[in-house]
Amino acid sequence: MKRAIRIAAGEALVLTANRLLDGHIVWRDAEGAWNRSIAHAAILAPDTYESALDSATQSAQADGVVGVYEVVVRPGTIAEPVSVRERIRAFGPTVHPQFATELDA
Amino acid sequence: MNAPVGLYQYQTADREFLASRIAEFEGQVARRLSGDLTEDEFKPLRLMNGLYLQLHAYMLRVAIPYGVLDSRQMRKLAHIARRYDRDYGHFTTRQNIQFNWIKLEETPEILRQLADVDMHAIQTSGNCIRNVTCDQFAGAAADELMDPRVHAEILRQWSTLHPEFTFLPRKFKIAISGSPQDRVAARFHDIGILARPGENGPLFRIFVGGGLGRTPLVGHELFDSVPEADLLMTLEAVLRVYNAYGRRDNIYKARIKILVQALGIEGYREAVRHELSRMDPSHYRLAPEVVAAIRARFAAPDLTASPDADAVLRRDRQANPAFDRWVRSNTLPHFAPGRIAVTVSIKPAGGIPGDATSDQLDRLADLADQFSFGELRITHLQNVVLAHVAQDRLYALWQVLNEIGLGDANNELIGDIVACPGLDYCALANARSIPIAQKLSARFADNALQEEIGKLRINISGCINACGHHHVGHIGLLGVDKRGEEFFQITLGGRDDDKSRTGDILGAALPEDDMVDAIARIVDRYLSVRERGEQFLDTLSRLGDAPFKEAAYETV
Repeated sequence: MKRAIRIAAGEALVLTANRLLDGHIVWRDAEGAWNRSIAHAAILAPDTYESALDSATQSAQADGVVGVYEVVVRPGTIAEPVSVRERIRAFGPTVHPQFATELDA
Repeated sequence: MNAPVGLYQYQTADREFLASRIAEFEGQVARRLSGDLTEDEFKPLRLMNGLYLQLHAYMLRVAIPYGVLDSRQMRKLAHIARRYDRDYGHFTTRQNIQFNWIKLEETPEILRQLADVDMHAIQTSGNCIRNVTCDQFAGAAADELMDPRVHAEILRQWSTLHPEFTFLPRKFKIAISGSPQDRVAARFHDIGILARPGENGPLFRIFVGGGLGRTPLVGHELFDSVPEADLLMTLEAVLRVYNAYGRRDNIYKARIKILVQALGIEGYREAVRHELSRMDPSHYRLAPEVVAAIRARFAAPDLTASPDADAVLRRDRQANPAFDRWVRSNTLPHFAPGRIAVTVSIKPAGGIPGDATSDQLDRLADLADQFSFGELRITHLQNVVLAHVAQDRLYALWQVLNEIGLGDANNELIGDIVACPGLDYCALANARSIPIAQKLSARFADNALQEEIGKLRINISGCINACGHHHVGHIGLLGVDKRGEEFFQITLGGRDDDKSRTGDILGAALPEDDMVDAIARIVDRYLSVRERGEQFLDTLSRLGDAPFKEAAYETV
């Protein structure tokens, strides 16, 4: 069953997952590759993201990722997740600045 | 092998089992990586080996049975933190340690390294009997009636891979203490056990149906005086009733506390008695010779101290007020003359509660060797105990602790904050627990101020699962999500001792940004209205929560 998505005007979606080998967070780019940085995430429209989500879910094992799902973001130079949870996933734990995710990775 | 004191020594069978279990898991990991196992198939298998997939990476939770470990084990944990993680570990409220940045493919090797020092991660997850927790001052405290470690070890052996209780309706937590002062939160466990000596051997007072989480409940006394011979049979019956009748249709109503609530304690007791009547006592009887054999695998320390040890300590305290303050807050009287039990605070001002770097873990191991027979205990309040320090060497220990940043005099004071990993690491959390803890401990960093405030424990949970035990904090904070933003609900008056109760909600949740100031205002109000000799809970009991509510919300 698909989750209900609460999305406001001006917001969009990106796809995320965890890497199977090390659990690290990854974001899906426009070519369907998974990147460590949300800066490379493909911005998806609310009415078209589902096919990308289905495709990413089906190829998750081959791509070496687990737990594919969508995240609501505010598009910009770097997409910014709307929720605190997803901002922490995107940019790293707030209590260990040395573990912050490198956005140009 | 040099057997450290106070620690059960594994036998060959234990080690062979661990080796086979790791080989099995290594095969499961290989099948997962090759795609032969799906994530849905693999998840319960990795959880059975303590491996979670958290927010940023895999997390490995390592069991520390009844919180006791030796220096070689601590050094191994330091090595794992340094080699396989990001140079630190996190002590949990179940006396375990977690590593937050583990790689799946390296996990079998980590488990092998742990097995080298008789450690593992089994039953740190899943709907089974989890790591049994115990009084951190077991075998040391002057007020202790009976050393609970032998029976904690018996419970560990009984519950490990118990075939009937591997797939319970929900996880199951047991705590045991042998002190009249409940230091294990016995009344907030699925089963809490308070042991005491009797005329004809140990007796066990058993509580059932306590717990925190979504439905916080204080446990009920099931039996007052279970004799040692009947201990395992009684626990077996308690769990059988739960296993048979506990709800499996709703994860939020699956803990034993819900069943006890539904049946009533009389009904549950009757069901247990009925189960006991169907069991063969000879099969379950815990024989004295079995207990003696297990006791023999614990080495006893030579606690003889210098005859003038206490005089030396008195002199050192008089000479250094800061040391004197630390002794007041961070030590507990030992039953042996000239010895003292020490709580090492893992809560430095502005630090992360329970986090220790690999260097600190190594240094703690060194200190255990130098000062406490190579033995350490992890507390459910996320600190470390050196249980058998000679009083005339206490000052030297304190000096080293200060050098490594673990010399804070804040045990059971406002800086001794208990916090779950929260939204910074946990996939279940709604809000970040750690930053609030850091800001509060920095705000109240002055150890003299903390002593003036007196006993006041703050517990912070990032979600309703309550891993930070917020319900039993004198001040409890619960993180809630409001449209993706962090808010915190305040509770006052919780406690997990002999007078256990859950805290009362003060009012509407406040935004994260307002929390530290709100707590500071509550503390200021307490200091302004308390009467001589009162602790926070006394003042709260006398005045009710109205003055504190007014203080907390005065700017809202």
